[in-house]
Amino acid sequence: MTALWLILGLLALVLLDVPIAVALGLSAVAAMALETGLRDLPNIPLTLFDGAVKFSLIAVPLFILAGSIMNASGISRRLIALTSSLIGFVRGGLAMVTIGTSLFFAEISGSAVADVAALGSVLIPSMKRKGYSKEFAAAVTSSASTLAVIIPPSIPMILYAVMAGTSVVELFVAGIVPGVVGGLLLMGAAYRIAVRRGFPSEAAFRWPAVKSSFRDAAWALLLPVIILGGIFSGWVTATEGAGLAVVAAAVIGGLVYRELDWRRLWTSAVEGGIQTAVVMLLVSTSALLGEYLTAMQVPQKFAAELLAFTDSQLAILALLNVFFLLIGLFLHSAAAIILVVPIVMPLVHQAGIDPVHFGLVVTLNLGIGQQTPPVASVLLTACSIAKAGIWDVSRVNIAFIGVLLFVLLLVTYLPAIPMALVELFYR
Amino acid sequence: MARRIRVRLDRCLQVAVVGIMAALALLVVVGVASRKLGYSLVWYDEVAAILLAWLTYYGAALAALHRAHLGFPNLVRRAPPSVRRPLVILREALIVGFFALAGWMGLDLLAALGGTFLVSLPWLPSGIVYSAIPIGAALFVVAEVAAAVEGWQRVGEAA
Repeated sequence: MTALWLILGLLALVLLDVPIAVALGLSAVAAMALETGLRDLPNIPLTLFDGAVKFSLIAVPLFILAGSIMNASGISRRLIALTSSLIGFVRGGLAMVTIGTSLFFAEISGSAVADVAALGSVLIPSMKRKGYSKEFAAAVTSSASTLAVIIPPSIPMILYAVMAGTSVVELFVAGIVPGVVGGLLLMGAAYRIAVRRGFPSEAAFRWPAVKSSFRDAAWALLLPVIILGGIFSGWVTATEGAGLAVVAAAVIGGLVYRELDWRRLWTSAVEGGIQTAVVMLLVSTSALLGEYLTAMQVPQKFAAELLAFTDSQLAILALLNVFFLLIGLFLHSAAAIILVVPIVMPLVHQAGIDPVHFGLVVTLNLGIGQQTPPVASVLLTACSIAKAGIWDVSRVNIAFIGVLLFVLLLVTYLPAIPMALVELFYR
Repeated sequence: MARRIRVRLDRCLQVAVVGIMAALALLVVVGVASRKLGYSLVWYDEVAAILLAWLTYYGAALAALHRAHLGFPNLVRRAPPSVRRPLVILREALIVGFFALAGWMGLDLLAALGGTFLVSLPWLPSGIVYSAIPIGAALFVVAEVAAAVEGWQRVGEAA
């Protein structure tokens, strides 16, 4: 009974615009007080602090910091130039460049909002100047950044791995094939729209241009090689790889390119710190709630109820997909992962679904949630850069969301797509 | 007044947050390097995780100041002003209440931890480690109130 009040209370607090992290804490404290009186209140600070002491989550601020350094040191500009020389000649060239660079960029940054802010601030104005509609420019940048969430490294994947107690390295590897497939499909959709609307292409393909932009970007290309190579080979852990990413970005941006803009670095480090704290406060207040839910055996009861209804893996995956898509409309992906993943994990295990496979389904699903208003931080960032209305952009974005949903179906029902590389190298 | 507090607090918290992030990056790199060289630092994991907890609570106060915590503002924002005002006051009271409780219990915790030290670094008192909760909670309350008051003054009503 208290559990029902807890959910209703949580919902009321969220609708009142109490920050979700605080709403979690408040409702857990209220439920605790109802169940056991004031006896457990002194444990609150201990649970809050210990909830934030998570070594594997150190990777989150470090990857964000590495992305900030890249943006402040001209690395993103070089990646854009290289992609432009490679695929800019296609009809709708700048849209292709946006998608292509997002895929590259994703290999170093890890956060979709950061990607959209970094690449969008350069590419959206260029697209507008070349005659692309601002709605299309915002939509393609936004959707490409969502896809970037499943390409390693990825902050939602790190969060999922911690919440589900699974391997972050295997999750990273599982994201590679679906990420590349999704990128190609997004390019296809963008190409169709570009042909229909007569969007221009960039300079014709020329080897000398490719060579010179490659030479200029070579150091930047080394970054993902160092980071992912180190992590995938098992030489360093994901957290240590994130530390290496910071050093490598600082050395390449500051010493090799000598373009580190300190003021910009400060601003983006502050933003990165805020972004980390927002996620981490959720993690630690959810620890309060987690204690209560575990004591009440809510996840186990939930699993038993659903398994009594159906034990087909396909049906359970479909149900969970619909559930996460709905949640993604109203919750930021980090909040949804922290809140929901611990509750559904017993069900996932009992249904025999591989937690790594499920992790990919969840991160991609909630990534799509970042494209669907009302709560859609990635889309909102793109809209504010393009100065376009969120509903007008969404109308254009339907085509790209369709592609992302198709990739979600592939990932859900053809487990070999995400899992083949994992099986090959890690099992 | 609210504005002056906000600007000062903003600057202090920014320095704290960037400082902790830089320390964290440095520590992880030193930790990897020492492990690869065969001299593992026993205290590295524990101290790094503690720094993350500090980043959480000092950063959370900064996020409150910047109104950056994740929420669902759509409903309250659309309510007519006569309904919105009491809702906003209720919201602020709940937020402040939660952190006041956490901070108060945090002070009790510090008193209870008196005389104990960290396992991996026996010279570091546990009280310093856990101080981030009461201090962070107090800073959160100040930041939340400053941001709310300023928002209220700027548009005549809190957003």
